Amino acid sequence: MSNMEKYFDASYIWSSFPALLPFLKITFLVAGLSIIFGTFFGLILASMKLGKNKVARKVANFYTTILRCTPSIVLLFLVYYGVPSIADNFGIYLHDIDTAVFVVITFTLQFAAIMSEVIRSAYESIEKGQFEAAVSVGLSPFQAYRRIIFPQALVVALPNFGNGMIALLQEGSLAYTIGLIDVVGKANLIIAANYNTHALEIFIALAIIYWILSILIEKGFGKLEKMFSKGKQTIKAT
Amino acid sequence: MSDGLNYKFLVDTFFVALSGVPITLFVTAVALLVALPLGFLLALTRINQIPILNTFSQVYVSFVRGTPIIIQIFIVYASVPLILTAITEKYNWNIKIYDINPIWYAFIVFSFSTTAILIEVFRSALSTVSKGQLEAAQAVGLTNFQAYRRIVIPQALVVALPNICTATVNLIKATSLGYAMSLQEITLKAKVAANVGYNYVEAYLDIFLVYIILCSLVEYGFKLYEKRLRKYQYVSS
Repeated sequence: MSNMEKYFDASYIWSSFPALLPFLKITFLVAGLSIIFGTFFGLILASMKLGKNKVARKVANFYTTILRCTPSIVLLFLVYYGVPSIADNFGIYLHDIDTAVFVVITFTLQFAAIMSEVIRSAYESIEKGQFEAAVSVGLSPFQAYRRIIFPQALVVALPNFGNGMIALLQEGSLAYTIGLIDVVGKANLIIAANYNTHALEIFIALAIIYWILSILIEKGFGKLEKMFSKGKQTIKAT
Repeated sequence: MSDGLNYKFLVDTFFVALSGVPITLFVTAVALLVALPLGFLLALTRINQIPILNTFSQVYVSFVRGTPIIIQIFIVYASVPLILTAITEKYNWNIKIYDINPIWYAFIVFSFSTTAILIEVFRSALSTVSKGQLEAAQAVGLTNFQAYRRIVIPQALVVALPNICTATVNLIKATSLGYAMSLQEITLKAKVAANVGYNYVEAYLDIFLVYIILCSLVEYGFKLYEKRLRKYQYVSS
Protein backbone atom coordinates (compact mmCIF):
# COMPACT_ATOMS: atom_id res chain seq x y z
CA MET A 1 0.00 0.00 0.00
CA SER A 2 3.00 2.31 0.22
CA ASN A 3 2.60 3.03 -3.44
CA MET A 4 -0.98 4.06 -2.92
CA GLU A 5 0.12 6.59 -0.32
CA LYS A 6 2.57 8.08 -2.75
CA TYR A 7 -0.31 8.89 -5.08
CA PHE A 8 -3.00 9.63 -2.53
CA ASP A 9 -2.44 12.03 0.34
CA ALA A 10 -5.56 13.04 2.27
CA SER A 11 -3.91 16.22 3.55
CA TYR A 12 -4.27 17.62 0.01
CA ILE A 13 -8.04 17.51 0.47
CA TRP A 14 -7.93 19.92 3.40
CA SER A 15 -5.23 22.15 2.02
CA SER A 16 -7.13 22.70 -1.22
CA PHE A 17 -10.21 24.18 0.50
CA PRO A 18 -8.69 27.65 1.09
CA ALA A 19 -7.70 27.81 -2.57
CA LEU A 20 -11.08 26.64 -3.85
CA LEU A 21 -13.59 28.37 -1.60
CA PRO A 22 -13.03 31.96 -2.81
CA PHE A 23 -14.08 30.83 -6.28
CA LEU A 24 -17.49 29.83 -5.00
CA LYS A 25 -18.26 33.53 -5.46
CA ILE A 26 -18.23 33.05 -9.23
CA THR A 27 -20.29 29.86 -8.93
CA PHE A 28 -22.87 31.69 -6.83
CA LEU A 29 -22.92 34.76 -9.05
CA VAL A 30 -23.58 32.74 -12.19
CA ALA A 31 -26.13 30.51 -10.46
CA GLY A 32 -27.85 33.50 -8.81
CA LEU A 33 -28.24 35.43 -12.07
CA SER A 34 -29.52 32.32 -13.85
CA ILE A 35 -32.07 31.79 -11.08
CA ILE A 36 -33.32 35.37 -11.25
CA PHE A 37 -33.61 35.52 -15.05
CA GLY A 38 -34.77 31.90 -15.26
CA THR A 39 -37.56 32.39 -12.74
CA PHE A 40 -38.77 35.47 -14.60
CA PHE A 41 -38.65 33.73 -17.96
CA GLY A 42 -40.22 30.62 -16.40
CA LEU A 43 -43.11 32.73 -15.12
CA ILE A 44 -43.79 33.92 -18.66
CA LEU A 45 -43.64 30.35 -19.98
CA ALA A 46 -45.96 29.12 -17.22
CA SER A 47 -48.51 31.82 -18.01
CA MET A 48 -48.30 30.80 -21.67
CA LYS A 49 -49.00 27.19 -20.67
CA LEU A 50 -51.93 28.17 -18.46
CA GLY A 51 -53.36 30.76 -20.82
CA LYS A 52 -56.12 30.37 -23.37
CA ASN A 53 -53.99 30.99 -26.44
CA LYS A 54 -53.46 27.64 -28.13
CA VAL A 55 -50.36 28.67 -30.09
CA ALA A 56 -48.67 30.11 -27.01
CA ARG A 57 -49.41 26.93 -25.11
CA LYS A 58 -47.94 24.76 -27.87
CA VAL A 59 -44.83 26.93 -28.08
CA ALA A 60 -44.25 26.83 -24.32
CA ASN A 61 -44.75 23.07 -24.11
CA PHE A 62 -42.49 22.51 -27.10
CA TYR A 63 -39.79 24.63 -25.49
CA THR A 64 -39.96 22.64 -22.25
CA THR A 65 -39.79 19.31 -24.08
CA ILE A 66 -36.78 20.36 -26.13
CA LEU A 67 -34.91 21.70 -23.11
CA ARG A 68 -35.69 18.59 -21.09
CA CYS A 69 -34.11 16.46 -23.81
CA THR A 70 -30.92 18.49 -24.18
CA PRO A 71 -27.85 17.72 -22.09
CA SER A 72 -26.53 20.83 -20.35
CA ILE A 73 -23.13 20.48 -21.90
CA VAL A 74 -24.62 20.45 -25.39
CA LEU A 75 -26.75 23.51 -24.65
CA LEU A 76 -23.73 25.24 -23.14
CA PHE A 77 -21.60 24.77 -26.25
CA LEU A 78 -24.50 25.53 -28.55
CA VAL A 79 -24.92 28.89 -26.82
CA TYR A 80 -21.16 29.47 -26.61
CA TYR A 81 -20.58 28.94 -30.32
CA GLY A 82 -24.06 29.72 -31.61
CA VAL A 83 -24.86 33.10 -30.03
CA PRO A 84 -21.77 34.90 -31.35
CA SER A 85 -22.22 33.50 -34.85
CA ILE A 86 -25.88 34.47 -34.90
CA ALA A 87 -24.87 37.94 -33.72
CA ASP A 88 -22.34 38.06 -36.57
CA ASN A 89 -25.18 37.92 -39.03
CA PHE A 90 -26.52 41.14 -37.54
CA GLY A 91 -23.08 42.72 -37.61
CA ILE A 92 -22.62 42.51 -33.84
CA TYR A 93 -19.27 41.25 -32.61
CA LEU A 94 -19.66 39.09 -29.50
CA HIS A 95 -16.62 36.83 -29.65
CA ASP A 96 -14.72 38.44 -26.82
CA ILE A 97 -17.39 38.96 -24.19
CA ASP A 98 -16.99 37.27 -20.83
CA THR A 99 -17.66 33.52 -20.83
CA ALA A 100 -19.82 34.05 -17.72
CA VAL A 101 -22.42 35.68 -20.00
CA PHE A 102 -22.78 32.50 -22.06
CA VAL A 103 -23.01 30.44 -18.90
CA VAL A 104 -25.78 32.66 -17.53
CA ILE A 105 -27.68 32.51 -20.85
CA THR A 106 -27.45 28.71 -20.94
CA PHE A 107 -28.63 28.14 -17.41
CA THR A 108 -31.32 30.80 -17.68
CA LEU A 109 -32.77 28.89 -20.63
CA GLN A 110 -32.58 25.67 -18.68
CA PHE A 111 -33.87 26.98 -15.37
CA ALA A 112 -36.78 28.68 -17.14
CA ALA A 113 -37.90 25.29 -18.46
CA ILE A 114 -37.71 23.77 -14.98
CA MET A 115 -39.45 26.74 -13.35
CA SER A 116 -42.27 26.85 -15.88
CA GLU A 117 -43.23 23.32 -14.82
CA VAL A 118 -42.80 24.11 -11.13
CA ILE A 119 -45.01 27.19 -11.39
CA ARG A 120 -47.59 25.48 -13.58
CA SER A 121 -48.02 22.50 -11.28
CA ALA A 122 -48.14 24.73 -8.19
CA TYR A 123 -50.80 26.90 -9.78
CA GLU A 124 -52.86 23.93 -10.88
CA SER A 125 -52.73 22.46 -7.39
CA ILE A 126 -54.81 25.35 -6.09
CA GLU A 127 -58.51 24.79 -6.42
CA LYS A 128 -60.40 27.07 -8.77
CA GLY A 129 -62.95 27.70 -6.06
CA GLN A 130 -60.35 29.61 -4.06
CA PHE A 131 -60.12 32.29 -6.72
CA GLU A 132 -63.87 32.41 -7.23
CA ALA A 133 -64.48 32.70 -3.50
CA ALA A 134 -61.95 35.52 -3.23
CA VAL A 135 -63.51 37.44 -6.10
CA SER A 136 -67.02 36.87 -4.79
CA VAL A 137 -66.15 38.48 -1.45
CA GLY A 138 -65.09 41.58 -3.35
CA LEU A 139 -61.36 41.21 -4.00
CA SER A 140 -60.11 42.36 -7.38
CA PRO A 141 -58.57 39.59 -9.52
CA PHE A 142 -55.10 40.99 -8.79
CA GLN A 143 -55.77 41.03 -5.05
CA ALA A 144 -57.14 37.51 -5.25
CA TYR A 145 -53.95 36.32 -6.90
CA ARG A 146 -51.70 38.21 -4.51
CA ARG A 147 -53.48 37.40 -1.27
CA ILE A 148 -55.09 34.03 -1.89
CA ILE A 149 -53.57 32.10 -4.78
CA PHE A 150 -49.91 33.11 -4.53
CA PRO A 151 -49.33 32.30 -0.84
CA GLN A 152 -50.83 28.84 -1.29
CA ALA A 153 -49.07 28.09 -4.57
CA LEU A 154 -45.77 29.18 -3.05
CA VAL A 155 -45.89 26.43 -0.43
CA VAL A 156 -46.51 23.82 -3.11
CA ALA A 157 -43.75 25.22 -5.34
CA LEU A 158 -41.06 25.55 -2.68
CA PRO A 159 -39.71 21.97 -2.55
CA ASN A 160 -39.60 21.78 -6.35
CA PHE A 161 -37.95 25.18 -6.51
CA GLY A 162 -35.31 23.89 -4.09
CA ASN A 163 -34.72 20.78 -6.19
CA GLY A 164 -34.43 22.97 -9.27
CA MET A 165 -31.83 25.11 -7.54
CA ILE A 166 -29.78 22.06 -6.55
CA ALA A 167 -29.99 20.78 -10.12
CA LEU A 168 -28.90 24.17 -11.44
CA LEU A 169 -25.96 24.33 -9.06
CA GLN A 170 -24.81 20.92 -10.19
CA GLU A 171 -25.28 21.49 -13.90
CA GLY A 172 -23.41 24.74 -13.41
CA SER A 173 -20.32 22.70 -12.59
CA LEU A 174 -19.99 22.17 -16.35
CA ALA A 175 -19.25 25.84 -16.97
CA TYR A 176 -15.53 25.10 -16.67
CA THR A 177 -15.74 23.40 -20.08
CA ILE A 178 -16.06 26.77 -21.81
CA GLY A 179 -13.37 28.30 -19.62
CA LEU A 180 -15.22 29.84 -16.69
CA ILE A 181 -12.98 29.94 -13.63
CA ASP A 182 -15.50 29.00 -10.99
CA VAL A 183 -14.81 26.51 -8.24
CA VAL A 184 -14.47 23.60 -10.70
CA GLY A 185 -12.38 25.67 -13.10
CA LYS A 186 -10.05 26.62 -10.27
CA ALA A 187 -9.76 22.97 -9.22
CA ASN A 188 -8.66 22.06 -12.72
CA LEU A 189 -6.14 24.91 -12.72
CA ILE A 190 -4.65 23.66 -9.44
CA ILE A 191 -4.39 20.13 -10.85
CA ALA A 192 -2.71 21.39 -14.00
CA ALA A 193 -0.24 23.40 -11.88
CA ASN A 194 0.55 20.19 -9.93
CA TYR A 195 1.35 18.38 -13.20
CA ASN A 196 -1.81 16.29 -12.81
CA THR A 197 -0.74 14.73 -9.53
CA HIS A 198 -3.09 14.60 -6.55
CA ALA A 199 -6.07 15.20 -8.80
CA LEU A 200 -8.18 12.76 -6.81
CA GLU A 201 -7.78 14.68 -3.54
CA ILE A 202 -8.86 17.92 -5.17
CA PHE A 203 -11.86 16.27 -6.82
CA ILE A 204 -12.85 14.86 -3.45
CA ALA A 205 -12.63 18.36 -1.97
CA LEU A 206 -14.90 19.60 -4.78
CA ALA A 207 -17.38 16.81 -4.11
CA ILE A 208 -17.45 17.73 -0.43
CA ILE A 209 -18.09 21.39 -1.25
CA TYR A 210 -20.99 20.55 -3.57
CA TRP A 211 -22.39 17.98 -1.18
CA ILE A 212 -22.48 20.44 1.71
CA LEU A 213 -24.03 23.16 -0.48
CA SER A 214 -26.78 20.81 -1.67
CA ILE A 215 -27.58 19.72 1.88
CA LEU A 216 -27.71 23.37 2.98
CA ILE A 217 -30.10 24.28 0.18
CA GLU A 218 -32.29 21.29 0.97
CA LYS A 219 -32.38 22.09 4.68
CA GLY A 220 -33.00 25.78 3.97
CA PHE A 221 -35.98 25.05 1.76
CA GLY A 222 -37.33 22.61 4.32
CA LYS A 223 -37.29 25.44 6.88
CA LEU A 224 -38.90 27.90 4.45
CA GLU A 225 -41.63 25.43 3.65
CA LYS A 226 -42.42 25.04 7.32
CA MET A 227 -42.47 28.80 7.76
CA PHE A 228 -44.81 29.48 4.86
CA SER A 229 -47.20 26.63 5.54
CA LYS A 230 -47.90 27.95 9.03
CA GLY A 231 -51.21 29.50 8.04
CA LYS A 232 -52.18 26.55 5.95
CA GLN A 233 -55.33 24.76 7.00
CA THR A 234 -56.38 21.72 5.13
CA ILE A 235 -60.08 21.22 4.95
CA LYS A 236 -60.79 17.74 6.18
CA ALA A 237 -64.50 17.55 5.58
CA THR A 238 -65.85 18.84 2.31
CA MET B 1 -17.00 34.32 -40.04
CA SER B 2 -20.60 35.08 -40.85
CA ASP B 3 -20.63 32.85 -43.89
CA GLY B 4 -23.63 30.94 -42.59
CA LEU B 5 -23.85 27.27 -41.78
CA ASN B 6 -21.88 24.66 -43.64
CA TYR B 7 -24.83 22.50 -44.69
CA LYS B 8 -22.82 19.67 -46.15
CA PHE B 9 -20.90 19.35 -42.89
CA LEU B 10 -24.16 19.64 -40.97
CA VAL B 11 -25.63 16.65 -42.80
CA ASP B 12 -22.43 14.56 -42.75
CA THR B 13 -21.83 15.13 -39.06
CA PHE B 14 -25.41 14.25 -38.23
CA PHE B 15 -24.56 10.70 -39.24
CA VAL B 16 -21.29 10.82 -37.33
CA ALA B 17 -23.24 11.83 -34.22
CA LEU B 18 -25.78 9.11 -34.97
CA SER B 19 -22.98 6.53 -35.05
CA GLY B 20 -22.39 7.28 -31.38
CA VAL B 21 -25.93 6.26 -30.44
CA PRO B 22 -25.15 2.52 -29.96
CA ILE B 23 -22.47 3.29 -27.34
CA THR B 24 -24.79 5.74 -25.57
CA LEU B 25 -27.59 3.18 -25.52
CA PHE B 26 -25.24 0.39 -24.46
CA VAL B 27 -23.98 2.37 -21.47
CA THR B 28 -27.54 3.39 -20.61
CA ALA B 29 -28.78 -0.20 -20.81
CA VAL B 30 -25.96 -1.59 -18.65
CA ALA B 31 -26.43 1.15 -16.06
CA LEU B 32 -30.17 0.44 -15.91
CA LEU B 33 -29.66 -3.32 -15.70
CA VAL B 34 -27.40 -2.83 -12.69
CA ALA B 35 -29.40 -0.02 -11.11
CA LEU B 36 -32.94 -1.39 -11.37
CA PRO B 37 -32.49 -4.50 -9.18
CA LEU B 38 -29.90 -2.90 -6.91
CA GLY B 39 -31.99 0.24 -6.46
CA PHE B 40 -35.04 -1.85 -5.68
CA LEU B 41 -33.24 -3.96 -3.07
CA LEU B 42 -31.76 -0.91 -1.37
CA ALA B 43 -35.17 0.77 -1.45
CA LEU B 44 -36.50 -2.24 0.44
CA THR B 45 -33.80 -1.75 3.07
CA ARG B 46 -35.00 1.84 3.44
CA ILE B 47 -38.67 0.87 3.67
CA ASN B 48 -38.04 -1.96 6.15
CA GLN B 49 -35.49 0.13 8.08
CA ILE B 50 -32.81 -2.56 8.07
CA PRO B 51 -30.20 -1.10 10.45
CA ILE B 52 -26.85 -0.60 8.70
CA LEU B 53 -28.01 -0.85 5.09
CA ASN B 54 -30.67 1.78 5.68
CA THR B 55 -28.12 4.36 6.82
CA PHE B 56 -25.76 3.35 4.05
CA SER B 57 -28.47 3.90 1.41
CA GLN B 58 -29.37 7.22 2.96
CA VAL B 59 -25.80 8.55 2.81
CA TYR B 60 -25.27 7.07 -0.63
CA VAL B 61 -28.39 8.75 -2.06
CA SER B 62 -27.51 12.03 -0.39
CA PHE B 63 -24.00 11.95 -1.88
CA VAL B 64 -25.10 11.18 -5.42
CA ARG B 65 -27.90 13.75 -5.34
CA GLY B 66 -25.61 16.31 -3.77
CA THR B 67 -22.68 16.13 -6.16
CA PRO B 68 -22.49 16.86 -9.90
CA ILE B 69 -22.05 13.79 -12.13
CA ILE B 70 -18.99 15.32 -13.74
CA ILE B 71 -17.26 15.32 -10.35
CA GLN B 72 -18.33 11.72 -9.74
CA ILE B 73 -16.75 10.93 -13.10
CA PHE B 74 -13.56 12.75 -12.15
CA ILE B 75 -13.35 10.84 -8.88
CA VAL B 76 -13.94 7.41 -10.43
CA TYR B 77 -11.61 8.14 -13.31
CA ALA B 78 -8.87 9.22 -10.92
CA SER B 79 -9.37 6.66 -8.17
CA VAL B 80 -10.04 3.36 -9.97
CA PRO B 81 -6.59 3.26 -11.65
CA LEU B 82 -4.94 4.04 -8.30
CA ILE B 83 -6.79 1.25 -6.53
CA LEU B 84 -6.15 -1.17 -9.38
CA THR B 85 -2.45 -0.32 -9.40
CA ALA B 86 -2.22 -1.00 -5.70
CA ILE B 87 -3.99 -4.35 -6.10
CA THR B 88 -2.07 -5.54 -9.14
CA GLU B 89 1.26 -4.61 -7.61
CA LYS B 90 0.43 -6.45 -4.44
CA TYR B 91 -0.44 -9.67 -6.24
CA ASN B 92 2.00 -9.15 -9.13
CA TRP B 93 -0.68 -9.38 -11.76
CA ASN B 94 0.32 -8.24 -15.15
CA ILE B 95 -2.49 -5.95 -16.22
CA LYS B 96 -1.97 -2.72 -18.10
CA ILE B 97 -4.29 -0.38 -16.26
CA TYR B 98 -4.13 2.37 -18.82
CA ASP B 99 -5.29 0.01 -21.56
CA ILE B 100 -8.68 -0.49 -19.92
CA ASN B 101 -11.52 0.49 -22.23
CA PRO B 102 -13.12 3.71 -20.93
CA ILE B 103 -16.53 2.09 -21.27
CA TRP B 104 -15.83 0.22 -18.01
CA TYR B 105 -15.45 3.51 -16.19
CA ALA B 106 -18.68 4.66 -17.77
CA PHE B 107 -20.45 1.52 -16.55
CA ILE B 108 -19.18 2.15 -13.01
CA VAL B 109 -20.06 5.86 -12.85
CA PHE B 110 -23.49 5.66 -14.43
CA SER B 111 -24.54 2.51 -12.57
CA PHE B 112 -23.40 4.15 -9.35
CA SER B 113 -25.40 7.34 -9.90
CA THR B 114 -28.50 5.73 -11.42
CA THR B 115 -28.78 3.25 -8.55
CA ALA B 116 -29.02 6.11 -6.08
CA ILE B 117 -31.70 7.88 -8.12
CA LEU B 118 -33.70 4.67 -8.42
CA ILE B 119 -33.52 3.98 -4.68
CA GLU B 120 -35.51 7.16 -4.15
CA VAL B 121 -37.87 6.39 -7.03
CA PHE B 122 -38.67 2.92 -5.70
CA ARG B 123 -38.85 4.06 -2.13
CA SER B 124 -41.52 6.65 -2.88
CA ALA B 125 -43.34 4.23 -5.21
CA LEU B 126 -43.37 1.43 -2.63
CA SER B 127 -44.63 3.74 0.05
CA THR B 128 -47.71 4.51 -2.07
CA VAL B 129 -48.79 0.86 -1.88
CA SER B 130 -50.73 0.48 1.33
CA LYS B 131 -49.54 -2.03 3.88
CA GLY B 132 -52.93 -3.72 3.77
CA GLN B 133 -52.17 -4.96 0.28
CA LEU B 134 -49.15 -6.90 1.49
CA GLU B 135 -50.96 -8.17 4.57
CA ALA B 136 -53.97 -9.25 2.56
CA ALA B 137 -51.73 -11.12 0.13
CA GLN B 138 -50.02 -12.89 3.00
CA ALA B 139 -53.35 -13.63 4.64
CA VAL B 140 -54.56 -15.54 1.58
CA GLY B 141 -51.44 -17.67 1.72
CA LEU B 142 -48.96 -16.06 -0.66
CA THR B 143 -45.32 -16.18 0.36
CA ASN B 144 -43.54 -12.88 0.91
CA PHE B 145 -41.82 -13.22 -2.46
CA GLN B 146 -45.06 -14.02 -4.27
CA ALA B 147 -46.83 -11.14 -2.55
CA TYR B 148 -44.20 -8.71 -3.78
CA ARG B 149 -44.02 -10.15 -7.25
CA ARG B 150 -47.77 -10.42 -7.86
CA ILE B 151 -49.30 -7.70 -5.72
CA VAL B 152 -46.91 -5.00 -4.54
CA ILE B 153 -44.48 -4.60 -7.45
CA PRO B 154 -47.11 -4.28 -10.22
CA GLN B 155 -48.83 -1.49 -8.28
CA ALA B 156 -45.61 0.26 -7.32
CA LEU B 157 -44.33 0.06 -10.88
CA VAL B 158 -47.25 2.10 -12.21
CA VAL B 159 -46.33 4.90 -9.83
CA ALA B 160 -42.60 4.52 -10.42
CA LEU B 161 -42.69 4.41 -14.21
CA PRO B 162 -42.85 8.16 -14.97
CA ASN B 163 -39.92 8.68 -12.60
CA ILE B 164 -37.98 5.80 -14.12
CA CYS B 165 -38.58 7.48 -17.47
CA THR B 166 -37.18 10.77 -16.17
CA ALA B 167 -34.21 8.90 -14.71
CA THR B 168 -33.57 7.17 -18.04
CA VAL B 169 -33.73 10.41 -19.99
CA ASN B 170 -31.39 12.04 -17.47
CA LEU B 171 -29.06 9.07 -17.77
CA ILE B 172 -28.94 9.35 -21.55
CA LYS B 173 -28.21 13.06 -21.18
CA ALA B 174 -25.54 12.36 -18.58
CA THR B 175 -23.69 9.97 -20.89
CA SER B 176 -22.79 13.07 -22.91
CA LEU B 177 -20.24 13.67 -20.14
CA GLY B 178 -18.51 10.47 -21.21
CA TYR B 179 -16.16 12.73 -23.18
CA ALA B 180 -14.31 13.27 -19.88
CA MET B 181 -13.44 9.56 -19.98
CA SER B 182 -12.90 9.62 -23.76
CA LEU B 183 -15.94 7.45 -24.27
CA GLN B 184 -16.77 7.33 -27.99
CA GLU B 185 -20.38 8.43 -27.72
CA ILE B 186 -22.54 10.97 -29.55
CA THR B 187 -20.99 14.16 -28.22
CA LEU B 188 -17.34 13.17 -28.49
CA LYS B 189 -17.69 11.74 -32.00
CA ALA B 190 -19.31 14.86 -33.40
CA LYS B 191 -16.92 17.14 -31.53
CA VAL B 192 -13.90 15.36 -32.96
CA ALA B 193 -15.38 15.73 -36.45
CA ALA B 194 -15.78 19.46 -35.81
CA ASN B 195 -12.19 19.92 -34.67
CA VAL B 196 -10.94 19.64 -38.25
CA GLY B 197 -12.64 22.72 -39.65
CA TYR B 198 -13.87 24.47 -36.51
CA ASN B 199 -17.50 23.75 -37.50
CA TYR B 200 -18.60 23.73 -33.88
CA VAL B 201 -22.01 25.32 -34.38
CA GLU B 202 -22.97 22.67 -36.92
CA ALA B 203 -21.59 19.84 -34.78
CA TYR B 204 -23.46 20.92 -31.68
CA LEU B 205 -26.66 21.41 -33.67
CA ASP B 206 -26.32 17.79 -34.80
CA ILE B 207 -25.64 16.55 -31.27
CA PHE B 208 -28.62 18.59 -30.07
CA LEU B 209 -30.88 16.99 -32.71
CA VAL B 210 -29.70 13.46 -31.98
CA TYR B 211 -30.39 13.83 -28.26
CA ILE B 212 -33.83 15.31 -28.87
CA ILE B 213 -34.76 12.44 -31.18
CA LEU B 214 -33.33 9.84 -28.81
CA CYS B 215 -34.98 11.23 -25.68
CA SER B 216 -38.34 11.80 -27.39
CA LEU B 217 -38.35 8.18 -28.55
CA VAL B 218 -37.52 6.95 -25.05
CA GLU B 219 -40.27 9.11 -23.54
CA TYR B 220 -42.74 7.87 -26.13
CA GLY B 221 -41.79 4.25 -25.42
CA PHE B 222 -42.32 4.74 -21.70
CA LYS B 223 -45.72 6.34 -22.33
CA LEU B 224 -46.85 3.31 -24.30
CA TYR B 225 -45.63 0.96 -21.58
CA GLU B 226 -47.28 3.07 -18.91
CA LYS B 227 -50.60 2.72 -20.70
CA ARG B 228 -50.24 -1.06 -20.66
CA LEU B 229 -49.40 -1.08 -16.97
CA ARG B 230 -52.32 1.15 -16.01
CA LYS B 231 -54.57 -1.86 -15.59
CA TYR B 232 -52.69 -2.77 -12.41
CA GLN B 233 -53.35 0.52 -10.77
CA TYR B 234 -55.35 0.33 -7.60
CA VAL B 235 -58.42 2.48 -8.00
CA SER B 236 -59.82 3.73 -4.75
CA SER B 237 -63.49 4.44 -4.96
